[in-house]
Amino acid sequence: MQRLPKIVRILAVISFTAVVVLFAALIVNSFQNSGKPLTSLAPEGPSAESIQKLVIPVTAIAGIVFVLVIGAIVFITWKFRERKDSDPDEFPSQIHGQTTLEIGWTILPALILAGIAVGTVMTIINLNREEPNSIKVQVAGQQWWWEYRYDLNGDGNFAGPEDITTATELVIPAGKPVQVTTTSNDVIHSFWIPGLNGKKDAVPGLYNPLKLQADEPGVFRGQCTEFCGLSHANMRMLVRAVSSSDYDAWVRNQLKDHAADPTNPVAAEGKKVWQALCAQCHVIKGINDVKMKETPPPLVAGVAPDLTHFMTRGTFAGSIFNLYEPVSSDGQPLPMSDVAAAGDPGAVLTGGQVNTATVNRVTLEAWLRNAPALKPMYPQGGRGMPNLNLTEEQIDQLVAFLETLN
Amino acid sequence: MALTEDRPLALPSGDSNDGYTPTGVFTRPTAETGPRSWFTTVDHKKIGIMYGAAAIFFFIIGGVEALLIRMQLWAPRGSLLSANLYNQVYTMHGTTMVFLVVMPIGAAFANYLIPLQIGARDVAFPRINAFSFWAFLAGGLFLNSSWLLGGGADGGWFMYAPNSGVIFSPTHGVDFWNFGLIITGIASLTGAVNLIVTVLNMRAPGMTLMRMPIFTWMALVSQFLLLFAIPVLTSAQVLLMLDRGFDANFFNVAKGANPLLWEHLFWIFGHPEVYLMILPAFGLVSEILPTFARKPIFGYPFIVFSGIAIGFMGWGVWAHHMFVSGIGPISVTAFSLTTMFIAVPTGVKILNWTATMWGGKLNFSAPMLFSIGLVTMFTIGGLSGVMHSVAPMDTQQTDTYFIVAHFHYVLFGGAFFGFMAGFYFYWPKAFGYMLNESIGKANFWLMLLGFNLTFAPMHVLGLQGMSRRIYTYDAGYGFEFWNKVATIGAFTLAASIALFIFNIFYSKSKAKTLPPVGPDPWDSRTIEWMTPSPTPAYNFDPIPTVTRVDDFWYRKYGETKDGKLVRIASTAEVAQQRTDGKGIHLPSPSYWPLVLAFGLPIVAYGIIFSLWLALIGGIVVLAAIYGWVMEPPDDPDLAHDDHGPEAHASDGGDAAVPDSADAVKEVETVG
Repeated sequence: MQRLPKIVRILAVISFTAVVVLFAALIVNSFQNSGKPLTSLAPEGPSAESIQKLVIPVTAIAGIVFVLVIGAIVFITWKFRERKDSDPDEFPSQIHGQTTLEIGWTILPALILAGIAVGTVMTIINLNREEPNSIKVQVAGQQWWWEYRYDLNGDGNFAGPEDITTATELVIPAGKPVQVTTTSNDVIHSFWIPGLNGKKDAVPGLYNPLKLQADEPGVFRGQCTEFCGLSHANMRMLVRAVSSSDYDAWVRNQLKDHAADPTNPVAAEGKKVWQALCAQCHVIKGINDVKMKETPPPLVAGVAPDLTHFMTRGTFAGSIFNLYEPVSSDGQPLPMSDVAAAGDPGAVLTGGQVNTATVNRVTLEAWLRNAPALKPMYPQGGRGMPNLNLTEEQIDQLVAFLETLN
Repeated sequence: MALTEDRPLALPSGDSNDGYTPTGVFTRPTAETGPRSWFTTVDHKKIGIMYGAAAIFFFIIGGVEALLIRMQLWAPRGSLLSANLYNQVYTMHGTTMVFLVVMPIGAAFANYLIPLQIGARDVAFPRINAFSFWAFLAGGLFLNSSWLLGGGADGGWFMYAPNSGVIFSPTHGVDFWNFGLIITGIASLTGAVNLIVTVLNMRAPGMTLMRMPIFTWMALVSQFLLLFAIPVLTSAQVLLMLDRGFDANFFNVAKGANPLLWEHLFWIFGHPEVYLMILPAFGLVSEILPTFARKPIFGYPFIVFSGIAIGFMGWGVWAHHMFVSGIGPISVTAFSLTTMFIAVPTGVKILNWTATMWGGKLNFSAPMLFSIGLVTMFTIGGLSGVMHSVAPMDTQQTDTYFIVAHFHYVLFGGAFFGFMAGFYFYWPKAFGYMLNESIGKANFWLMLLGFNLTFAPMHVLGLQGMSRRIYTYDAGYGFEFWNKVATIGAFTLAASIALFIFNIFYSKSKAKTLPPVGPDPWDSRTIEWMTPSPTPAYNFDPIPTVTRVDDFWYRKYGETKDGKLVRIASTAEVAQQRTDGKGIHLPSPSYWPLVLAFGLPIVAYGIIFSLWLALIGGIVVLAAIYGWVMEPPDDPDLAHDDHGPEAHASDGGDAAVPDSADAVKEVETVG
């Protein structure tokens, strides 16, 4: 124990140095945002950019205050430390306070904050101003996926025959404002696409506005950020911003029903399985326009994603799995763990035929085999897909059928 | 056999025996020492120590939960915990750390120190004080018993409706959470009333409000916050209980409810809660920094009034937890501005502490190191707090790990570092031996390292998109590296806590070979250091008369006009000697607080599992209340007709006090 003071000194140096290095590394790292699809520090739309215009000066002010205060404390602890040779009966000058100084450092932070307040209020006003001619989409959260309803004809009704109901992926035209209304069919969720805007809670019974707009075409990922129960972590969202012409083609395709029988006999068998089992909860317009099962108790959504144009989406199961194999630049499939590269439906998005070779059949089959094993759900309470105990033959037939849903 | 006698439940003790033979179920306990005495004690010091010990016990439980969380998040797709178990673990971690660790450690210090700092014999209502502790312990054990009875609550410590309803959370976890916190809420409420009355009515002669030690001030503000905040939470929880048990539809959206009602109620409680957790630590640091800087606190009135200002302003900021919940832009703007400006009184405190150190002669003892740790780490938490008071920025940051980083810098870097400082500082006063200083310093540096490694990376994780309360994350989002750093940091932090616990036992075993610590090992400033260490049951003999702030310091030192300090008396001359305490009238121990407190969880188990059990619990509670009420305030056979001439300071505390009121022997205490 005699050597303890020396060990303590070494520990102090290590600890202090490590903390300084850690802070430096974190500051550097906060500027490295490539390969981080959920980062809030690389805005790609006007709303997120207007927030970023606050983030930079406010963080800078906080950083300056931080450096000044911590610097002052480090300086003081060094300069005014008790020296070994100091006289124990000598005391520092006894200062009880300095009213002018104290009033000064009460008013100064208040003035700095008043400056920040001005910028804050202006940005709040800006973020809440609805853009003219924006596309209206109602976003409904439920455990644990998102449904999107487009009010195409602008009649204020999101579920008319002229409107689109889709799920999992929100398709928007790049460069055009989208006015989202968030709501929920069960518990509170939160809709968050960090690249495009801050988040907005999806509260049952409330309809909360949120502006979205992407500068350029691209894929923008999101994550539910209000705890919503068992599979909160697996409730993701994806915004696919496309060119205006692609968007128009996508809309035209989405408005179509699926009436024609599949030509492939395996897929035709799959359609029968669909009608017997899947149609209890899911909808494919043209085959079953409404789900067959009664809605379970109030508050529980009791619905499953509309699959009319399933294959036009790049991901499924709350955007946690890719529906298409991500392909690297040399044409090789990328490993499934690399979910940052979202599955790309390619031409299927606008109604093209599915190239079955690119479909991520392994995961899709595993999902049909036992969905709750891949994503924790609560099917016995009407939330999430149950294990349907399908045979391998039924699974093959269903996949073949699903592949026709362009 | 009657439950009570003509002379209810009090046995003759001492020498007097008038032939009275008790036949009651219980006799009034008499043990003042030994293990049994702890169960019946009404001594504020023992109760304070038990609060601290229980809080450290729960801290270990909450800490293990934290380590489980960090192990689960070590790598993408962690498989240690299932989604269901993870949700329970993080809910119970937050609930435990807030209600069973930080709040009771604050209560431990407040219980132990307030009567000593204001020169009182005990708190105003000693039996209620014992009840507060036992009810807290009963509530905490009840809450944690859910792990053995079907699993913990899984809705997050904020327990948002409607996810907390029976449909979405069908197990009993939420019920345990609800009743457990209602019971600890009763404990907090009775404790708050008790301490407020104590501070306002029982100060020593001359101890005006503006002469009170800053810890007592901050604890007082904190008790007022408890007094008004806890009932809001309890009300909300009663609504939730009625919803879950009896279909009351307060939060049932299908019947027209608005789930924001719960959010508002919870955060009207929840934000004052944050300040009532941090203020006691602020108070401790305000005692420790001057002691080791050898200088008075810089700007006593500014420190006091900024604390009061925080107490008031803390009521007008709750909706900053709800910027994205859908409240309108005007509300968002208003709460954004109030939140920004609550940084002003907090900033004043930081700058006043810094100015206290300026020009001092700084002795870096373990308590001082932890105090400086609070000032620096809390500054980081305060600045990130200003960042998300800017509502548009908050829409990107809320419910991400940035917030997790922020409030751990406030509650761990702030409150807990302050508590560690307080443990090292007051340990010799409470237990009569010093904690080893070298291990203490190692403890600090290890904790500083572990704390920053754990929580600093969460700032960047949050800004780069990592959401809170997720049991898993995928590779490819860039979260891997900093999560590994945070997990390593969490284990470093755990090691520093282990070192602290080791230090307690190591120092105790070494203490026998060392000279006794004496009343004033740190050359301190406030009157609790006049008492012998460990402080005797009667606290002061005689009660001192207070003439100024830092009264004890100025009994030792005089100050010249130009601020020079000169010693005028040795510590031995002005400190109090241990006396036999004869003639000092103290409240007698009692069983009833314990019985009443443990009747409450029986009622709660009953409401959850079987109403018959609730009936039994109700009978226990009613019997305990009856026994309590019929119990005389203290033993009737003890002579106690020698009340002193001046028992306590008047409300304003500014009554004219004779100079030699040190002769006052007694302070009245009633149950």
